[in-house]
Amino acid sequence: MGKKVLVVDDDPDVRLFSVTVLEEHGYTPLEATDGEQGLAIVKSEQPDLVILDVLMPKESGVRLFRHIKTDPKLQKIPVIILSGITQKSFLRSQKALTEFGGAAVPEPEAYLEKPVEPEELATAIRNLLH
Amino acid sequence: MSTNRKIHKILLIDDEQDILRVLSMSLRIDGYDVMTARSGEEGLRLFKAQSPDLVLTDVKMPGMDGIEVLRNIKALEADAEVIIITGHGDIDNAIEALKLGASDFINKPVRDEVLAVAIGRADEKLAIRSQLKAHTEELEEKVAHATQELRRQSNFLSRLIESSNDAIIATDDQLRIVIYNPGAQRIFGHTFEEIKERHITEILPDEVARFFSHLPASNGTATPTEWVETIVTANDGERIPVRFYGAPLKEKGKLMGSVSFYQDLREIKRLEAELLHAERLAAIGQTVAGVAHGIKNLLHGFKGGSYLVNLGIAKNDDEKLLKGWDIIQRNIKRTSDLVMDLLSFSKERDLDYVPCEPNAIVQEVRQMVQTTADEYNIRIETDLDPAVGTVCMDPHILHQCLSNLISNALDACLFEVESDKQWRVTIRTHRMENDRICFEVIDNGSGMSPEVQKKLFSRFFSTKGHRGTGLGLLVTRKLVKEHHGTITVQSKPGAGTTFTFCLPFMRHCTAAAGSST
Repeated sequence: MGKKVLVVDDDPDVRLFSVTVLEEHGYTPLEATDGEQGLAIVKSEQPDLVILDVLMPKESGVRLFRHIKTDPKLQKIPVIILSGITQKSFLRSQKALTEFGGAAVPEPEAYLEKPVEPEELATAIRNLLH
Repeated sequence: MSTNRKIHKILLIDDEQDILRVLSMSLRIDGYDVMTARSGEEGLRLFKAQSPDLVLTDVKMPGMDGIEVLRNIKALEADAEVIIITGHGDIDNAIEALKLGASDFINKPVRDEVLAVAIGRADEKLAIRSQLKAHTEELEEKVAHATQELRRQSNFLSRLIESSNDAIIATDDQLRIVIYNPGAQRIFGHTFEEIKERHITEILPDEVARFFSHLPASNGTATPTEWVETIVTANDGERIPVRFYGAPLKEKGKLMGSVSFYQDLREIKRLEAELLHAERLAAIGQTVAGVAHGIKNLLHGFKGGSYLVNLGIAKNDDEKLLKGWDIIQRNIKRTSDLVMDLLSFSKERDLDYVPCEPNAIVQEVRQMVQTTADEYNIRIETDLDPAVGTVCMDPHILHQCLSNLISNALDACLFEVESDKQWRVTIRTHRMENDRICFEVIDNGSGMSPEVQKKLFSRFFSTKGHRGTGLGLLVTRKLVKEHHGTITVQSKPGAGTTFTFCLPFMRHCTAAAGSST
């Protein structure tokens, strides 16, 4: 049984793509359709890696990322952001939330901007789960 | 003998030595400075040389007589005090002397008391005259001062009018231009010389000229205008936007003229146009960024789809092949949705007013979404005002706005599809009194936070994740605006959302209305 990787994305097509890449490389994929569900699974399953979209209904990827990185029990889990949003905008919104009175959060372990080649995603996963 | 008397120096003229001696002695005793002359000629010389305060002259003298002396002295100095000494009963000479301006006459033999009275009277006259002179000088000084002050004030006021950046034009009560400052020249182009005395109504557009034409007959009851924007035509034909304000000038309730002010709006209009242009460029930038974001997501979908298709082919795995093909087909649909939204957003389309039944269009759109609604167990209700009837409006705009808002309403319910609440979308129509029809799309779905409501009508804002292009409400608002309507939203998180848009209609479609915008 391979390592557990949680895919959080509201778009089923994107989830299917990531899940297929994970399966092809011998990992065990988990799926969540929004940030809220994602957080519940992160807590219950303690996955080895999270692949996270940014723009989602309910809790966004920006918030879920902060939750993971500020929870002592979860913050060691590496996160790959996979989004159409640029890394610059993502970091800017994190900075704004920090200035707004939140805790400082580190940068995500990897940032991939859509569209992504399957090999690119596989390499990023492998680098974090060697 | 008063100490502040005016007469000090007296010239005494008589051909009789004895009289000269007696009179001069008596006058000297009274404290006067006396000089004597034995003839009219000598007296005149002394008068010129010594300027006495008073002359006493005998009438009858050889050579130049007293009357002649008087005439000469008066010619030299009209104010000179001259007392004539006449022979007893010489009334003719006395009258002649008084006519020529003598102060007084006394008869020979000269009695001291009579002389003293005559000199006293002359003294009084001199005193009064000098007082009068002082008074006159003071008055003249005051007048000069007041004149200077007036001139200063008048200069101050004309500088004030001249240096005004705004145009100021004043007329008399017959509307003839009497003041026209450089600011006015900058707007209207005419010089003051060209425009002076012309009627102000000649250089103004009718809507503004009307205010002035009414003034002369208004009997002082006219009141100032509001500030209004209008367009004036300069002498070179340039049409210049200005802000105008006109007021009657009244004195004691009677019209004495008018004044009007004009603010040049050319610069402001230019800046406004520039700002609009800059805003448009910014909007284009945001639009491009939004479109790019949408395309990145689509590309990702296509890549994912082809990855699965490739895997399916390589491994002979039909399931992967089909799933991949599904993804590709869905993304083709999403690409097409995005392109259609972009097209309807960018299209500048003329309104197409035709007779239509808004209630029927509501039913049409309802039919379109009924399958989706049934699938998710969402009830669609309609509450249509029968007074709406058949009106003249653009049915395409109405159709698109309704379908955008209704599918939004369904989405709002879909967000929480697992809950067992009875989801409901209600569509209402009302015919308003001001020839408008209002459409309400009400859902009891997820509702929106105030932050989300704020961003609603801005570009590319979507809370629907992959489902929305972010353009729906933007397009809806644009269409409502094109139809000269209004759109508002009320929402509460968890309670639902109501969108209301009202579109004006025409009761009858006229031939010309087809392309009215």
